[in-house]
Amino acid sequence: MSAPTAPPSPALSGSSPPEPANRTTRRTPKWRRQGRAAHVFLIPWLLGLVLITAVPLLASLYLAFTDYNLLDPPTWTGLENFRRMGEDPRFWASAWVTLKYVLVSVPLQLAFALGLAIVLDRGIKGLALYRSVYYLPSLLGASVAIAILWRQLFGHDGLINSGLALLGIEGESWLQNPSTALSTLVVLNVWTFGSPMIIFLAGLRQIPEELYEAARVDGAGRWRQFLSITVPMLTPIIFFNLVLQTIGAFQSFTQAHIISGGRGGPLDSTLFYTLYLYQQGFVSFNMGYASAMAWALLVVIGIVTAIHFLLSKYWVFYGDN
Amino acid sequence: MDRRTFTRLIGAGAVTAAAAPLAACGRSASGSTEGAVRYAWWGDAVRKQNYEAALAIFSEENPDVTVRPEFADYGAFQERITVQMAGRNVPELFWIPSPQVLTYQAANLYRPLDDLDGFDLSDYPDDLLETFKLNGELNTMPRSIFTPCVRWNQTFLEEAGAELPAYDEANWTWDSLAEFLIDYSADNPQGRKGAAYCANSDMVFESWLRQHGSDLWTEDGTLGADPAALEGWFEWWERLRTAGAALELSEQEGADPEWPVVGEKVLMTLQNSNHIVDEAQQFPDYDFQQRMTPANPDATPGFRFGYLSRIAMYRETPDGSLEGAAKLLDFNLNDARMVAQTGLTVGAPANPRVLEEIRPDATADELKLLDLVDEEMQHEQRPRYEAPPGSGTWRDVMARTIEALALGNVDIPTAATQFTAEVTREIEAARR
Repeated sequence: MSAPTAPPSPALSGSSPPEPANRTTRRTPKWRRQGRAAHVFLIPWLLGLVLITAVPLLASLYLAFTDYNLLDPPTWTGLENFRRMGEDPRFWASAWVTLKYVLVSVPLQLAFALGLAIVLDRGIKGLALYRSVYYLPSLLGASVAIAILWRQLFGHDGLINSGLALLGIEGESWLQNPSTALSTLVVLNVWTFGSPMIIFLAGLRQIPEELYEAARVDGAGRWRQFLSITVPMLTPIIFFNLVLQTIGAFQSFTQAHIISGGRGGPLDSTLFYTLYLYQQGFVSFNMGYASAMAWALLVVIGIVTAIHFLLSKYWVFYGDN
Repeated sequence: MDRRTFTRLIGAGAVTAAAAPLAACGRSASGSTEGAVRYAWWGDAVRKQNYEAALAIFSEENPDVTVRPEFADYGAFQERITVQMAGRNVPELFWIPSPQVLTYQAANLYRPLDDLDGFDLSDYPDDLLETFKLNGELNTMPRSIFTPCVRWNQTFLEEAGAELPAYDEANWTWDSLAEFLIDYSADNPQGRKGAAYCANSDMVFESWLRQHGSDLWTEDGTLGADPAALEGWFEWWERLRTAGAALELSEQEGADPEWPVVGEKVLMTLQNSNHIVDEAQQFPDYDFQQRMTPANPDATPGFRFGYLSRIAMYRETPDGSLEGAAKLLDFNLNDARMVAQTGLTVGAPANPRVLEEIRPDATADELKLLDLVDEEMQHEQRPRYEAPPGSGTWRDVMARTIEALALGNVDIPTAATQFTAEVTREIEAARR
């Protein structure tokens, strides 16, 4: 059985201005069947959204205003958890550690990724292989195995100190020194540059070659070409990577958890915000406080992202403006 | 398949998925399938394999009981079971981490164990069972015993031509041990240090406190560590560290020395007596020996103690799983084959009959454990109290305190005050 077809749209025929759509005409049996099918296909996603994301999200919003130890029913405490954050020195310590980490590791990682993408964009032989090899750390970067490897590199008897010993320098464990522990996590983050590098590489391939040719004709050197063509044309990609990597850095957890044995030491120097949140929720059983911390982080990330977008109009160049 | 059929299939799948929560109603309140028994424990990869092999023996002999092993490392175990508690989905049988005994009791997790068909209590002395009750109820069972100890590398000691202080009341003291370690560190051919920095060794710390007339935890659920005893503990370790007789935290990768890292660097560690079973195997060329902790002549009587680790059955174990869980508990605690398969990494068996049965087949290092536990348990012991709810993070607090101390950020009195304040705050928060 074939469904009745709708009359040709005037807009498509180009004969006259479009008329308001006739609702009875559009809701044909075929349309209704297709609508039903669409809804059926949407059900699995909808179930996932509701059960796995929306419900826990709303539950954590409620818990943020309660005292909940996972064992007894939550009791409403209003803004107490948020007030407590203000008085909790470890909360501020973790916020400061995270902020330092974001401010240092994200620009470094993006600069490293961009630099390497530019090198790889020069049409060298075996580009696909290099691309894959450089992407590997990103696949492994936040994994337990790499965090353990990091301990073997930066530990007291690790490879770095063994190398320094050859030069007559006796080093102590980089991971057990509060002045250097966070730096090792920054290095770990920079090392996982593969994902932004691939995106930069794709962006570089989109820049028209004529622009460079014209610049060369006008006598522009490589540095001038980079500053006046590559960077402006890449700003949307830089912006995209900046937003994603900033959000990811605020949420960093695994590396610090493994490398510090879950404690964020020494002296809380690697106590990332999410690690402290986790300690509160699952070690100290303060799930209400942990939920409040999670929402505070969400708000901060939202604000930082909004600032990124607001500032983007001053430095991000789109081809159509 | 046409589109309509496909759509119907998808629709049927979605309806099934939506109905899944209803299907769960056929399960027990604990979340377990009727007849199945979940067994949860912690450890390393070797212990995991050994216990799985032991559980396989049980399953072979009891095909009607489905055993579902749930293994994790120590930290992850505690975090997982916390979530399971919140979801009332706790395994039928589970080991109890020492800081959580009373937390789980407060959460009403334990089922009484003296009315179970298939679980035999006749091997256990009445006084042991009596002291093991919580609030007058036998709802956990002693699984193993271990004690605080001093362990040293006999091979290193002989290489240096050194001798430990005599092992008697007059000579085996904290002061004499400190002097020996300082001398050893100053004068041994390999340049090793006397000891790892073990101030965060909970059992040895507790032994120190008990000798000084103090308790780690009091009967009414507070931190019992006397400020003077706490400061004395830190002073003893700082004396060693500053004299070059104990490792710096950097050298041992943190407040908790990692044995593979420190095994070649030091003569001695202060820790739990059961660790010799696993750790001696990591350095098979060396001979390790161990003693009870030293004690000063004026030590408070009754300070010696052993820790009896616990196992429990979940209170909401479904009726259909009860018999199987009782059988598995019995196999776990009362069958020497279980211990023979798993070894003594968790300590000496708490069941006296099993202890005697496995002794002839124990390895040399296991015998050192058994002998030391025997020696310690023959001493008079004053009561010991379990960690109260909210104290589960006390070792993390101790680690932070030790870091601050060893890195020179605080002095000893401040470290002691901060430790006491932070642990007390956590306990009081849990009470609220």
